[in-house]
Amino acid sequence: MNRIFILTPLIVLLIICIFSLVYLLSGKDPNKPPSALLNKDVPIFESSSLYNEKDIIKTKDIKNKKTLINFFASWCSPCKIEHPLFFEIRKKYPELYLLGINHKDPTSDAKKYLKDDGNPYDFVGLDSDGLIALEFGVFGLPETYLINEDGKIIYKFMGPITMDILKNEIEPLL
Amino acid sequence: MSSLVGFLSLVFAIGINFYLFLSRYIFKFQKQKFNLFIRFSSLLTLLSFFSLMYAYVVSDFSNYNVFQNSHSNKPLIYKISGTWGNHEGSMLLWLCILSIFSFFFSFTKNIEDNFQKLTLIIQGFLHILFGLFIVFTSNPFLVNSILVNEGLGLNPILQDPGLAVHPPILYAGYVGYSIVFSIAIAGLFQNTDDEWIYVAKKWSLISWTFLTGGIALGSYWAYYELGWGGWWFWDPVENISLMPWIAGLALVHSLMMVRGEQAIKKWIVFLSILCFSLSVFGTFLVRSGILTSVHSFAADASRGIFILLIFFIVTGFGFLVFLLKEPKKSNALNLLFINKVSALVINNILMIIATLTILLGTIYPIIIEVLYNKRISVGGPYFNSTVIPIMIPGFLLMSIAPILSWQTNKINNSKKYVLAFIILSVLVILQSYFLDFNTWGFVGLLLGFWIILASIIAIFSSYKIKINIKFFKIINPHVAHIGVGIAIIGITCSSVFQNELDFNLNEGDKFNVNGKIVLFEKIETTNEINFQSLRGKFLFDIEKNQSKEIEAGKNYYPVSKMITSEAGILHQWNKDIYFILGDQKNNEWFVKVLINPFVSFIWLGVIIMMYSGLIAVSRR
Repeated sequence: MNRIFILTPLIVLLIICIFSLVYLLSGKDPNKPPSALLNKDVPIFESSSLYNEKDIIKTKDIKNKKTLINFFASWCSPCKIEHPLFFEIRKKYPELYLLGINHKDPTSDAKKYLKDDGNPYDFVGLDSDGLIALEFGVFGLPETYLINEDGKIIYKFMGPITMDILKNEIEPLL
Repeated sequence: MSSLVGFLSLVFAIGINFYLFLSRYIFKFQKQKFNLFIRFSSLLTLLSFFSLMYAYVVSDFSNYNVFQNSHSNKPLIYKISGTWGNHEGSMLLWLCILSIFSFFFSFTKNIEDNFQKLTLIIQGFLHILFGLFIVFTSNPFLVNSILVNEGLGLNPILQDPGLAVHPPILYAGYVGYSIVFSIAIAGLFQNTDDEWIYVAKKWSLISWTFLTGGIALGSYWAYYELGWGGWWFWDPVENISLMPWIAGLALVHSLMMVRGEQAIKKWIVFLSILCFSLSVFGTFLVRSGILTSVHSFAADASRGIFILLIFFIVTGFGFLVFLLKEPKKSNALNLLFINKVSALVINNILMIIATLTILLGTIYPIIIEVLYNKRISVGGPYFNSTVIPIMIPGFLLMSIAPILSWQTNKINNSKKYVLAFIILSVLVILQSYFLDFNTWGFVGLLLGFWIILASIIAIFSSYKIKINIKFFKIINPHVAHIGVGIAIIGITCSSVFQNELDFNLNEGDKFNVNGKIVLFEKIETTNEINFQSLRGKFLFDIEKNQSKEIEAGKNYYPVSKMITSEAGILHQWNKDIYFILGDQKNNEWFVKVLINPFVSFIWLGVIIMMYSGLIAVSRR
């Protein structure tokens, strides 16, 4: 009896270590923290277009359609890496609304970036002061959110999306 | 250059510990000579740490770590605190504090030479493990391969005076348990007299006091910096610090039982090992990035595996020695229905259950993710509904525990206590009836006030009041418990009776907060050295001549492109009025005002607990 009591900590230690080790070795991605916003309504925001200040997009404009929101900036090199994938998405899912949010970027730089690399977005909204990103709880660029027809965030990814992520995680939700 | 000095002295310090650890003649070494080695290695580790600090102070960007985490525009204090504001530097700080504890322990008198040597060798062993970890996975002295003249900046959230001192103090608590661990293991090996228990008591009190201060500072920082209006979020990193804190509290109380000549050595050794194990486990969880929290640290799997290995070795070694070298049978405990020993035992059991409950909640997401590949997060609702009910009987018990007798069931002056409890209950019921009733509020207030009242009655009826140091030492346990009572009142009021008001305002608007008129004066933006600030200026209670100015706003840090919120807090003795400036929409500013009653009581309670911890160190 006494022996068992003394053995317990060692057994608990072993269990904790095994689980932690499996977790570490399984290559779980800490870049995908659970978002507090997941399965919640899109935060209320409004943003004017990069190309026309008077053209404004609001939260209610993206209701009733599936929307992919991508936070990007010209100064963000990982954004450049994922950029071509959005053309792929564009081609494959013409119904999906692609909303790019340009984060803390001089408009001239943003325009040049989209001119050089192409513009896959249906709408490019400005977030010069970073407040929209704050509302969404953006950790760092790029970040991508998928919003369903009811205006709920159903998926979030931090960092550049890749072909694998697109195939395995985003496409099943589309 | 300073990086080279730092790296070499670190390696040299580890080398000395290796030499001492492997030397077979260690017990034949003269005590003086041995201690000299230990102190020399400690000073080398210190030198290594200060070399890194120097590199930060002079913004030596040829050091990769400095380049990554500093910026020449930063004020001096944040350059210094930048030393430990990153993973590598903070691990070096950890090692440095370990050395400092060894250094001071080498001066301990009145203990057997071999026992002291063994303790220091175990400390040296820990130094080797963590030293190798730093050298191989987290070297802060790497050379920057590109030539630069500016750094990448420090996380702006960390640019705060509270957070500059929070990590060193917290670490002093965590790492302090290493010496308690080493003492306990040495005690098991040598199995000598019980003298080591007194030594362990002093060091565990020191560690516990530091840990209390560290947690409170972190909590206070979260309160005014995160701008969420709360001070505790059951965030994994907070839980990690709470576990060794509660286990340490159980340890300090168990060590008290030694005074009643009821040595429960086995339990004390168990707790000593547990405290340090939880500290190392916490380091593992935080540094491996296995848990996500507001404390976002860089994650790296290889580091995680290395610390997991250290955790496994340290804890496994500790409990294995515990299994094999079980302390000899101690006296049976004198457990009665209600005496001091049984109260302390119950309190210990409750604290361990609470620790395990927190542990379960903290690692549960890992287990679920491994088993079901689902990511869940365990938060406030779980902890509030499990940990708090577990603690309540303990709080009830602690109100009277100090006056219980060691040997008998008798409680002196029991009538006084019963009467006081009845009167207090009626008062709290009346208070709840006339103000808004809330079950948790009722329970919390009753408990808090009862602990304070019972302690005061105990002080006045059991001792002759004298104003001298000896008297303060005698009543110290009661004082500590008064601190807990005050903290409970603060915690209850600020969480249960918090009041939230939302406004949409233009500059120049007046609005009503708690019956006082507040003027939203203006918005001001200024450029500081390393950030731009946006501040809303408010005048509180403008009908009086001495209206108070409150500033709430945000800072924008261009180097790291981050925004931090800066809450404006008006401290009053019975409440904090907490202003948060939101966003501007349609020319109106969103302003949130929180009224947090009696928050200051939490900090006051903590300060009293720390004071008691320090007094207890000097008491034998």
